[in-house]
Amino acid sequence: MSYIGPKDFSEDTNLIAEVMRVMSGDLNLEWMKDCPHAMTARPSQARRGLTLDDINDDPYYGPSAIPEIIRRHFSMTPRGGVLPEGLPSLGYRLNRKSDVWADSATVLFEESKSRRWAPARSVPWDALDEASLSSEEDVAIRQLCTGLTSIGLVSTDVPSRWVWLMNQDFHEIKYWMCAQMFDATRLAEAFRKRALYGQGALGCDSRELGELLKIIMESDTYPLASAALNLTLFSFVQSLGRRFEFSSTNAADTYLGTRLVQDASRFIAYGVDHIRQLVGTRPSQVEIVNDHLDLVENGLVGYLGSRELIEPLIVLSGGVESVAAFYRRAAEQYFERCIAAGLGERQDRSPLPAFLKLLDS
Amino acid sequence: MSIRFPSLEFFRALQQRAKDDADVFEKLGVCDTTFGIRVGDDLYRIAFEVYECTEVDETNDPASLDFVLTAPVQLWKEMFASVLANGGADAAHTINTLTHVGDVMKVEYEDPEGHDRLYRFMATIQEFLDEAQHLDVELG
Repeated sequence: MSYIGPKDFSEDTNLIAEVMRVMSGDLNLEWMKDCPHAMTARPSQARRGLTLDDINDDPYYGPSAIPEIIRRHFSMTPRGGVLPEGLPSLGYRLNRKSDVWADSATVLFEESKSRRWAPARSVPWDALDEASLSSEEDVAIRQLCTGLTSIGLVSTDVPSRWVWLMNQDFHEIKYWMCAQMFDATRLAEAFRKRALYGQGALGCDSRELGELLKIIMESDTYPLASAALNLTLFSFVQSLGRRFEFSSTNAADTYLGTRLVQDASRFIAYGVDHIRQLVGTRPSQVEIVNDHLDLVENGLVGYLGSRELIEPLIVLSGGVESVAAFYRRAAEQYFERCIAAGLGERQDRSPLPAFLKLLDS
Repeated sequence: MSIRFPSLEFFRALQQRAKDDADVFEKLGVCDTTFGIRVGDDLYRIAFEVYECTEVDETNDPASLDFVLTAPVQLWKEMFASVLANGGADAAHTINTLTHVGDVMKVEYEDPEGHDRLYRFMATIQEFLDEAQHLDVELG
């Protein structure tokens, strides 16, 4: 239902009288006197330009002043701005700093824009015309691209479910989440284009991938969604990008794999930093996050074992053992990141090691 | 005059090439990492800041590096031979391919976040190594 403002401004006699006074030249300029704090904002490194960290280099405007729980306002006022009386609440529900915050988000946001690429022209698509792929390899690559397209699209959905609930004081995180949405959109775009390039076709969707993505999308809280998406899913997306590049025989696929890796790695960097700061501030969250990742990793086992993923990987690498080694290494690196995030050793509770053992046998 | 590989002079020549090709590196985007390249027993320290390779030196302190790419001299020679022959590493000799499973080129690191900088900035690091294509290199 649409929101209806508390008054009919077009019928507000006080407002109309004020407008008439201003139009007759009677400016009171109160807003000019209300500037509470001036700072000097200059690029700290000319080549980097004016960064978010540069304009945060003052406690008044920077994030150090954000309390753990925001009770001061729920309005649209940018952090550090003057709060007049009567501002409407925009209904933000994420008002706890540790629920969202990662110090690295500012750098990752700037990095995301600086390391941008445009699939339409950046990818050397015509290299695919000369690629020496068998028909089986060609279909296998298009199948992998189908899954990556699904992952990219759902990875735009996840931050979008939470960003509008987040207090304006966390604007750096909101900026970063918007960058994530754009990065994920680009991945969906690039891999859909790869699937369809030339005499192309999309492959078969995977029920198991759908289940994994649903588990992530329907996470109960933002910290759980962030851990599931950024830490778990994107650890494996990064590995898939590495595998895609590893399997490539041409410049287009090398380019796509490398860019998937670099973009996925920013998601991971935020995820590790976010969860580490969350559990550092509220240690009780360790078990809550670990409980959720138990469910997510169960979904991940389904996806890693699904025919729609493992079979094209086998076709492209020429054998099961190579894929098992790839999965094992991806899992090792994922577990290292969980430790770095403050979640401790997950191997004993995770379903992944048993799954990997099954592949080895 | 040809530049011998491996040597500090070789990596400093790559640094100079990266400066000469500044537009290429700026297009790839910011890159902030200090990493190592271990060729046999020799460890070279390479620092990138913003768009530039700002430092190339030898070091005995791998703990100060985000990650170290480690391989025998012969593998590095094979990789640079591919760079020289193909105008950049071919698909079989990219850093990602060589480090993929960890049994060809190793990536050493103490901090997983430092390790992930390899992946965040891999395109820049690959371009840096591919600059060897413009050098007269004596691989021996």
